[in-house]
Amino acid sequence: MRSGSEPRSGPTPRPIVRLAAIAVGAALILAFPAGVDNPYMLTVGIGILNYAVLATAWNFVGGFTGYISLGHGALSGLGAYGTALLVTAAGLPSFVALVVAAALVGVLAIPIGAAALRVRGASFVIVSIALVLILLLVFQSWASLTGGSRGLVVPRPFPELRRAEHHLVFYFLFAGLLAVALAAWWLIDRSRFGLGLKAIREDEDKSEALGIPTFTYKLVVFVISATLTALGGGLYALWFGDLDPVFQFSILTGSTMVLMALLGGVRHLFGPLLGALVVGAGLEYGKLAYGDTPLHLVITGGLLGVVVMVMPDGVIPALSSLFRRWFGSREASIREVTAAELLATRDDTTEVGR
Amino acid sequence: MVSGALVFQSVVLGVLLGGLYALLASGLTLYFGVMRVVMIAHSAFLILAAYLAWYFHRQTGLDPLLSLPITVPLFFACGVAMQRLLLARLRPATRTMMSVLLTFSIALVIEGALGTVFTGTQRRIPLPYSGASLELLGARVAVVKLIAFALAAGAMLVLYLVMTRTRFGRALRATIQHPEAAQLVGIQTGRVAGYGFGLGLATAAIGGTALALDSTIYPSLHWRWIGPLMAIIVVGGLGSVVGTAIAAMVLGMAMSLLQIPLGTTWAQTVFYLALFATLAVRPQGFFGGRLAKRF
Repeated sequence: MRSGSEPRSGPTPRPIVRLAAIAVGAALILAFPAGVDNPYMLTVGIGILNYAVLATAWNFVGGFTGYISLGHGALSGLGAYGTALLVTAAGLPSFVALVVAAALVGVLAIPIGAAALRVRGASFVIVSIALVLILLLVFQSWASLTGGSRGLVVPRPFPELRRAEHHLVFYFLFAGLLAVALAAWWLIDRSRFGLGLKAIREDEDKSEALGIPTFTYKLVVFVISATLTALGGGLYALWFGDLDPVFQFSILTGSTMVLMALLGGVRHLFGPLLGALVVGAGLEYGKLAYGDTPLHLVITGGLLGVVVMVMPDGVIPALSSLFRRWFGSREASIREVTAAELLATRDDTTEVGR
Repeated sequence: MVSGALVFQSVVLGVLLGGLYALLASGLTLYFGVMRVVMIAHSAFLILAAYLAWYFHRQTGLDPLLSLPITVPLFFACGVAMQRLLLARLRPATRTMMSVLLTFSIALVIEGALGTVFTGTQRRIPLPYSGASLELLGARVAVVKLIAFALAAGAMLVLYLVMTRTRFGRALRATIQHPEAAQLVGIQTGRVAGYGFGLGLATAAIGGTALALDSTIYPSLHWRWIGPLMAIIVVGGLGSVVGTAIAAMVLGMAMSLLQIPLGTTWAQTVFYLALFATLAVRPQGFFGGRLAKRF
C-alpha cells in the first residue's frame, strides 16, 4: 500500500528532528501551567487537553477505518455519568470508578459497535447520531437515577486541595491520558492490525477479499476508541463536578470532535491534537467575546462546512503539500485522490451505478 | 383499562402523524436516490419553513398557509443551489460520508441563525381555528392536524404524479436507477439531480408549514425530527419510496399507540429501537434493494 500521506513514508523529516519536535511539544504542554498565572487560563488549558483526548480517541475509528461517527459525544457522556454514578450511588473511590466506568463503556461498545458497524457510510453516521439522541432521551427522563435536568453533582476526588491545586492536578491527569491515547494510536498505526484497518478505509470489499477479518478489526478498534472516550468523559466528570444531560449527550460534542480531527488531519498522529488546539482556543475565545449565544453554532457549523469543502484531509496535509511544492520533491499521490481524479473525468453522478 | 375509543383515537392520530413523516421521509429518499447523500439538514429546513410561516403570519396577519407560494419556490431554488454549488463538488470517493458532515454543518448554521434572529423563545401561531376539532366515529381530531395531513397527502400525490407522469419525472427516475445509461440516452443527469434535490427540499417547505399549524416551534426542535426520520429511512431501506412510506406509517402509529401506556417521552424511543432492531436483523432495511446494501 503506497500512501504518501502516512507519517513514515514520503519525504518526512529525519527521526531525530521528529523526536526533538515531539520533545519540545511535550515540554511546552508540561510547562504551560507554570507559564500562566491566572487559574482561568489553566481551565482553558484543561478544556483544550480534554478536547484533544476526545478527538484523538475519536480518531481511532475515524482516522484508521474512515467510519465517521457523530455519536462519540454519547460515549464520553456515558463515561462521565458512569463515573459519577459509581462514586455517588455505589460509593467507589473516584479513580476506581473512572476505570470501572470506562471498562463498562468498553463492554457496552461491543453490542453498539456490532449493530452500527454492520452498515457502512451513511447508515453508520445515522446510527451514531441516533445513539446520542436516544441516550439524551433516557438520561433526561430517568431523573430518579441521573438527576435529570437538575444535574448530577460529583464529589471532588481530592477534597483537601484548594481550587487552583485541583486544576493543576487535573491538568496533568489530562496530559497523561492524552499521552496514553497518542501512544496507543502510534502503536496501532505501526502494527499489522493498523495496516488492516487502513485497508478497510481504502476499500473494505477488497480488504475482506484479501482475508482481513474486517468486522472483528472494526469492532476491536471501536471498543478501544469507546474506552478512551469514556476515560476522557469520566475524567471531565471528576474535574468539573457537575453533569447535565443536555451537555453530556449533546450532538455538538461529537461534531466538535469530528471538526477537530478533520481540521488537523485524520491520518496523522498529532492531527486531532492540533485541531483541538485551534478549535478549542477558538471556542473559548468565542465564549469570551460573544457569550453563550446561538452564534457559536453558526461558527462551529460554518467552520465544519468550510473544512469539509476545502480541505477534507486536514491542515497538516494541506500545509505539507504546500511545503513540498515550494521545496521540490513532489508527493506520491495517495489512492483516494487518484480515484477522485479518475472519477472527476466522468460526470459527477456516475459513481452511483458502480 | 384502556378503552377502545382511546385506542381508536390514537390510531387516527398515528395515521395523521405518519402522513407528515412519510412526506418528509420521501424528501430524504429523493436526495438519497439522486445523489447518494444523507441530508441531515432536512429537518433543519423543516423548522426554518415553520419559522418563515410563523414570521409571515406575524408580519401580515394572513393565514400561514399563504406563505407556501413563497417558501416552496424559495426552498426549491435553495435545494438546486445546494446540490450544484456544494454537494456536487465533493470528492466522489468519499461523498456519502462527507455529505453527511456538510449537511450536518448546514443544520447547525440554520439552528444557530434561527436562534440568533428569532431568539430561543418557543413560538406558536395563534389561529382562529386552532381549538376546533371534528368528531370522527368517536375520535376527536383537531382541524389543524387534518389540514396538515391533507397538505402532506396532497404534496405526496403531486410528487407521485411528477415522478410518474411527466418527462422530467422519467428523467429523474432514470437518473436514480442508472445514471450512466441515463446520460447515454441524452439526459443531463447533473441538472436533473439538482432539480431532484430542489423537489426534496420543497417537501420540507410544505412539511414545515404543516408543522407550524399545530405545534410549538423552537430552533433546536429539528433534532426531535431528524432522529425519527433517519430511523424511518433506514428501517424502510435507503432509497425505497414505498418502503419509507410504509415505515413512516407503521412507526408513526406505533409511537401514537405506545403513548397510552408509556407517555410521550418514552414512546419516542420506538424509533430508535426499530432502528437498532433493523440493523441487527436486516441491515439493508425491510424494503431496501441492491442499493441499500452498499450504504
